[in-house]
Amino acid sequence: MNHTKRGIFTTTMVILTLLFFYLPMAVLLLYSFNSSKSMVITGFSLKWYNELFTNSPFLWKAVSNSLIIAVSSAFSAVLIGTLGAIGLRWYSFKLKNLFQIISMLPLLLPEIILGVALLIFFSAFSFPQNLFTVYLSHITFNIPFVLLIVMARLEEFDSTLLEAARDLGAREIDVLMKILIPLTMPAIIAALLMSFTLSLEDFVITFFISGPGSTTLPIYIYSMIRFGVSPVINALSVLIVLATIVLSLFLSKFSKYIINH
Amino acid sequence: MSTYFIITDPFSTIVKEPVNIYDISMLGSSVGIKNISKNFGHFKVLSDINLEIKKGEFFSLLGPSGCGKTTLLRMIAGFDKPDTGSIFLDDRNVTDIASNKRKVNTVFQNYAVFPHLTVFDNIAFGLKLKKIDKKIIQKEVFTFLELVKLNGQERKMPSQLSGGQKQRVAIARALINKPQVLLLDEPLSALDAKLRKELLIELDQIHNEIGITFIYVTHDQEEALGVSDRIAIMKDGKINQIGTSKEIYEKPADAFVAGFIGETNLLKGSLSITENKETKLITEKAGSINILINNPKIKSGASLTVSLRPEKINILPIEPTVKITHECLQGQVKEIVYSGFQSRYFVKTKQNIMNIIKVHEANETRIRRGDKVFLEWEKSDMNIVEFS
Amino acid sequence: MTEKSRLGHFYLFPLTIWSILFFVSPLIIIILYSFLTKDIYGGVIYTFSLKAYQSLIQLTYLKVFWFTLKISVISTAIIMFFAIPVSYYIARSPLKNVLLFLVLIPFWTNFLIRIYAWIAIMGNNGFLNQLLLSLHVLKTNIQFLYNPIAVIVVLVYTYLPFAILPLYAAIDKFDFTLLEASSDLGASRLQGILKVLLPNIRTGLMAAFLFAFIPIFGAYAVPQLVGGQESFMLGNMIARELTITRNWPLASAIATIITLVTCLGILLYIRSVRRSDEKDGK
Ligand SMILES: Nc1ncnc2c1ncn2[C@@H]1O[C@H](COP(=O)(O)OP(=O)(O)OP(=O)(O)O)[C@@H](O)[C@H]1O
Ligand SMILES: [Mg+2]
Repeated sequence: MNHTKRGIFTTTMVILTLLFFYLPMAVLLLYSFNSSKSMVITGFSLKWYNELFTNSPFLWKAVSNSLIIAVSSAFSAVLIGTLGAIGLRWYSFKLKNLFQIISMLPLLLPEIILGVALLIFFSAFSFPQNLFTVYLSHITFNIPFVLLIVMARLEEFDSTLLEAARDLGAREIDVLMKILIPLTMPAIIAALLMSFTLSLEDFVITFFISGPGSTTLPIYIYSMIRFGVSPVINALSVLIVLATIVLSLFLSKFSKYIINH
Repeated sequence: MSTYFIITDPFSTIVKEPVNIYDISMLGSSVGIKNISKNFGHFKVLSDINLEIKKGEFFSLLGPSGCGKTTLLRMIAGFDKPDTGSIFLDDRNVTDIASNKRKVNTVFQNYAVFPHLTVFDNIAFGLKLKKIDKKIIQKEVFTFLELVKLNGQERKMPSQLSGGQKQRVAIARALINKPQVLLLDEPLSALDAKLRKELLIELDQIHNEIGITFIYVTHDQEEALGVSDRIAIMKDGKINQIGTSKEIYEKPADAFVAGFIGETNLLKGSLSITENKETKLITEKAGSINILINNPKIKSGASLTVSLRPEKINILPIEPTVKITHECLQGQVKEIVYSGFQSRYFVKTKQNIMNIIKVHEANETRIRRGDKVFLEWEKSDMNIVEFS
Repeated sequence: MTEKSRLGHFYLFPLTIWSILFFVSPLIIIILYSFLTKDIYGGVIYTFSLKAYQSLIQLTYLKVFWFTLKISVISTAIIMFFAIPVSYYIARSPLKNVLLFLVLIPFWTNFLIRIYAWIAIMGNNGFLNQLLLSLHVLKTNIQFLYNPIAVIVVLVYTYLPFAILPLYAAIDKFDFTLLEASSDLGASRLQGILKVLLPNIRTGLMAAFLFAFIPIFGAYAVPQLVGGQESFMLGNMIARELTITRNWPLASAIATIITLVTCLGILLYIRSVRRSDEKDGK
């Protein structure tokens, strides 16, 4: 008796949650095919998609900025983070715990703090705010995710494999290139995809850091929301959600390293 | 490195010759361990270890879990450094030489086969690092595949192999580098009993074929006794005895070795030397037993612990008539454990419970539980393992 | 030994440099700025001042702080109320991969799109108004947006997946035979959940709580876009002091305080992890 009651409660919560998650997306989907510019449903139309693809040059500029930043910052963060994770996994030194907490902190602090701190930092040194500062900032907030994902993988890594390799004559560079990197590859790819997505997605930090000419997609969407909503944004949203689903399917292959921390 | 390789490889110039594994011989080297100590924090893991392992020897390190076998082996391999003392390969001090520069290779307990490489690439790993010609590598790999009986498996990934096959890969992978010393850290402990026996015999054959020095770590005494030329028995970071299987079994240096290697019965008592120079062990409850004393340090009145192997004791339903060379105790059978060709008897004597193993004979007198029996043995089978 | 530590330095070198340059020094700079004097057009004058912290004690600022705390606590409570049964259900479900995927989609979807979706629903002319008008529940349009309730709804929407994922990971690792054992020993189902399940997934609960609470406490975009005048949170205040009033010491002071509060939460979390590890005898 008791059992089924509990079951009903949790089931209800799950259904409510899924409705809560997906109704808003369904609404966007509905409006993206609506022919009216207002939110009154008038009829089916593809014109917003058409406008999105043919008549939105600034949007596509923002998309290309976002992609440039996402790809470059993801690769840089993965490079720094992977080496760091290896160091943190196998070498002990004084204050290692403190070092580890500080490396993770950007992930734990509210984004706005990093945004403000970097903004003030860059202005204090009169750094011009452009795509490059955005790139630097994105690396900073991506590194902790890379550390987390790669360290989770290294955690289950059998360290006798490294000894075996050295025993067979491998120099440190051979150990890194022939054993460590190949065996950590799934986590490295997961970290790459995660960094890429987080970078594409970031609004708050970029908002503070970006200057004229370094508008990314989220900044562009923000201004669309604030200053004149055109239904193009509905079409854009639908496409982004679709892209997300595709990317997530891809990511779910590596989700083991993303969820288990 | 590569020059060494080519010189010692008898086949390197002959291509497409059918490989004869019985000709793979390498250079072994002796291993010297001088005054090695090692602490982990305040915990003393090894204290003042000294060992001389001969060229080409099959040497075993045997001891209970945690006694420091792996630690010692890791120092020979070069993974760890001793706090004090030195390690010599032949007569070269290698204490400060990194593991990738020692001509020593290791077979690990958990295989440590690289999971992302095929069997072939695992075995070729060391040679590829030396940038040796591909053709030679290929030929070598096939030679060693054959040596460890993995012909035809070279394309498989480690996940497709059984435990025994993985360990074979690990052995071939180590041997292909032509080490002077092969270190094996409980290489068989992850395998089931039957496979363990088979692989052990193969290891012994491989050792005979290639002739390099093997240092074999185990806590399984049967393994060690079966194949080793010599064995070192370790306890709590110290070596208790070094000797051949026979020496260690028959002349255990102390009570620990006696108990650790095989089974034993320990008799305690004090030594009394009679007027006509007869030496006797005076037990607390079972009276006096004749004993041989070859150690002049043992004086009359010393308290002794004597080891007596279970299979050296004869169990008789009636009192033996000849008692000049044989010692005798009386008792009652408490328990009989039958195991095929032999049985084990637990006999309660006045002194203690004795453990006896007896191989069945065709028309022996059946002994049953509760029977009164007589135990006899030869004086020379009694080993003094402790005295004070 | 020395070779090993040299290698350690090599691997950690880029990370160390990066952290110092682009994370630690910016943090130090805002802490420094918070003790300096404000310049008229943004920036600072290099004279020591406690003015930023003094002005924070003013009632208007305290009110914003109080409001932020209230919104954060309420939203996080609602999030946990949903997250616990949902992650429990997912971990126990035979369809867990599918369900997990369904949770991951909103998690991965662009943050602003998620906010925008609610504007499309709750806006003056939005979906909800259209629906209620056509059902004749309403006679004229109502503004559902630009109030604290809207802020809470959207915050819950954006951060619920953040809480579900760590909780799911913790519950998934939980050995459910322990629950059977406890019921075998006479505990009711509820007792089992309270006395066996919850203590065992405590670190997961803590992580879920922090993953939701911390970003909500520093929220900027959500109150900015759906909150209106009434829902001014700390994040908005930082942004205002930074870009409009141009009082950098004050913005830095608020950021410093939020950083300290966050670090405190993290330390508490680490302590609770340590304690539960000790309990497990690790
Ligand atoms: N890195 C280390 N730090 C601290 N103590 C260690 C370390 N490595 C080994 N020890 C300790 O040293 C002792 C000897 O360890 P070792 O691994 O050499 O034992 P072993 O004889 O190989 O045992 P086993 O048969 O179980 O493999 C053990 O008590 C172990 O706990
Ligand atoms: Mg060991």
